[in-house]
Amino acid sequence: MGRIALVVSAAFAAAAALAADDPKQRQDLTAVIALHGKPCGEVVSYVVQGENDFLATCKDGNRYRVYVKDGRVVVEKR
Amino acid sequence: MTRHALVLVFLAGACAPATTPTYAPAPSAPSRPPAVTTAPKATAPQPGAPPKTIAKAAVPAPAPAPAHRAAPLDLKSLEQRLKASDAIGVLTKLSLKNQVDDLVGRFKSYHQGQRPPTLTELRPAFELLLMKVLSLLQDHDTALANDINASREAIWGVLTDPQKLAQFT
Repeated sequence: MGRIALVVSAAFAAAAALAADDPKQRQDLTAVIALHGKPCGEVVSYVVQGENDFLATCKDGNRYRVYVKDGRVVVEKR
Repeated sequence: MTRHALVLVFLAGACAPATTPTYAPAPSAPSRPPAVTTAPKATAPQPGAPPKTIAKAAVPAPAPAPAHRAAPLDLKSLEQRLKASDAIGVLTKLSLKNQVDDLVGRFKSYHQGQRPPTLTELRPAFELLLMKVLSLLQDHDTALANDINASREAIWGVLTDPQKLAQFT
């Protein structure tokens, strides 16, 4: 039981580590979402889900997954 | 990454700006004569006439500053400038590239005879994309934004000419 708790704790710690806050990255995500014509305002936070894969939270409450697939930037509402 | 180069090519327009900025000073010759015509009156000075105006009229006016012209865009230098520019993030650049590729694809369809799109439809799309680029650049890389803006018609000229467009694709 103790091991399970340890694994879960480690998983949460890893997830927290991926929640980055680079202003340039936020600005980049804001610009990408705007380029796709999606309402956002500005990105206030984001989580790195993988390589070139982000979950962005906007000031207006909208959340978008921004990722690269086949050389194209995709913005999906969540 | 040849398609990445296409973005640069599109932005650059591959030639010098075709338009002259509208804020270039107008010829100032017509505005000079009134100052000169006041000089004869000054030869017979009135008691209350300020002598300084005589001196100013006698001194030739300095030549107007040359009109501002953006430097011709060199593709390689522009590529370097875009690569070095921090004004646009990596994802934004890729997203712009996608949109440029899409627009170029529409122009190719047009050149192949497909209708729609017509040029009337393509022009607003081109303007919108250029606006996006300029919006992203203008606050952080003003010089590059100005150069691209000055090349607006040159870029349009490349896109609407199938031979010129083929050189870059």
